[in-house]
Amino acid sequence: MKNSAVRDWGLRLLVFAVFVGLWEIFVGYSQNFLLPRFTETATGLFHLLFHDHRFWEALYVSNQALLLGYAVSLLVGIPLGLAAGRLRWMDRVLNPYVGVLLAMPVAPLIPIVIIALGLGLAARVFIVVLFAFVFITVNTRAGVRSVEPSLIEMAKSFGASEGQIWRRIVIPGAMPAIFAGMRIGLGRSITGMVMVELLLVASGLGRLLLEFSGRMQSDLVFATVLAVIIEAIALLTAMQAIERRIAGWAPDVSIG
Amino acid sequence: MIRVRGLSKEFATFDNGSSGVLALSNIDFEVRDNEFITVIGPSGCGKTTLLRIIAGLIPYDQGEVTIDGRPVTGPGPERAVVFQNFALMPWADVLTNVTFGLDIRGTPKDECQAKARELIKQVGLEGFAKRLPKELSGGMQQRVGLARALAVDPQILLMDEPFGALDEQTRRLLQEQLLRLWEQERKTVVFITHSMDEAVMLGDRVTLMTPRPGRVKEIIDVPLKRPRLRDVEKSSVFLEVKEYLWENLRAMQIE
Repeated sequence: MKNSAVRDWGLRLLVFAVFVGLWEIFVGYSQNFLLPRFTETATGLFHLLFHDHRFWEALYVSNQALLLGYAVSLLVGIPLGLAAGRLRWMDRVLNPYVGVLLAMPVAPLIPIVIIALGLGLAARVFIVVLFAFVFITVNTRAGVRSVEPSLIEMAKSFGASEGQIWRRIVIPGAMPAIFAGMRIGLGRSITGMVMVELLLVASGLGRLLLEFSGRMQSDLVFATVLAVIIEAIALLTAMQAIERRIAGWAPDVSIG
Repeated sequence: MIRVRGLSKEFATFDNGSSGVLALSNIDFEVRDNEFITVIGPSGCGKTTLLRIIAGLIPYDQGEVTIDGRPVTGPGPERAVVFQNFALMPWADVLTNVTFGLDIRGTPKDECQAKARELIKQVGLEGFAKRLPKELSGGMQQRVGLARALAVDPQILLMDEPFGALDEQTRRLLQEQLLRLWEQERKTVVFITHSMDEAVMLGDRVTLMTPRPGRVKEIIDVPLKRPRLRDVEKSSVFLEVKEYLWENLRAMQIE
């Protein structure tokens, strides 16, 4: 076990090294003076993390939208998914809307939301929710549907009430899929947050990006992006670890 | 005692609902206390439907279904079901699965666990209490299902082709184990099967059903002494009853 883990990490580092190597070579040969090297990006990141309090302020502002938006997505998405999974009529009613929201690109809706809600936190949270909640709903519903009908029948045969069936059979049975939905929803929330930052620009990391690119500080631009990516990876990895604990018993049939 | 009189059950078809499938028609059926009854018939004869109605899992249209005089309106503590595909919770270990029925009824935890451990031992799964269903073979999983049903101490055990999903060798071992367990307490059992060997080996009486619509054709006595050991299969009585069943069943398939 240990050996294969070491080998896997070794290979991952190798991929990373190759990527950095190609990056350096590309910068070396290109005439583009704006394109920073990896080392410049890394130094820039170091600078941002330890010498620039504005970075942390911006990170805080952006994450407000992320965490609030994600929380609202869960509060809206999971109950909708549970209802759609268990109640046929609810599922039929929601189906077309869910289908549309899954397939369409949400980014073009951002300007509309801005017009409607302004440039404040509410708008940013709303956009994050738009990006994320459908995926949470869809995976939750799939989870509820995936619970074997014979398990529900078994529970009934022992005299379980509807509430007991929910608590003992449906929810535990749907947990792996719900968690997959939560993981995908987190990823989508991050995407939503980044989209808002890029198009809304008035606050947080988006504003920093605009400032740095305006001043041609491309190393800091790249560094900011790198910071966002690192945060995303950290959050998603943590989520996956929790998921593995909760859902070790089930195969992965997630949507998204 | 289970008593079924004039039972009929129709399932509506999906297309327009005006026409339906008559799954059971005018069933008369009785199971005495402490009797082991097997039910056999070709696919579509309604035997599983009959079991589900007795279990209180599905409603019926006409007739009377009573247990010790009380009509069946839903599941009850005196009955427990063993399912063909085991119906174990895959996320829970063996112990949790076995305690499920008791837990639902609000039995205190230590009592549940004590009873469960005892039954786990009786079905021969001692040491496997903390394993997950996916770590067990089919035969072992069904033994968990059996332990779970026995844990709630039911008067009546309803078994829906419990060994149908298992290979022949496992099936034969579990039949013997079931008989041994049954001899200890002699609960009332209704056992659905496709296998003639099984029907005759296990049952005091064999209920023969015909399909389309489901009816009870005949109830055949199995005059074999108990306890039944494997060599009973060689006896002439066994072979005669089995042959009789097969003649009837074969005739039904040709129609």
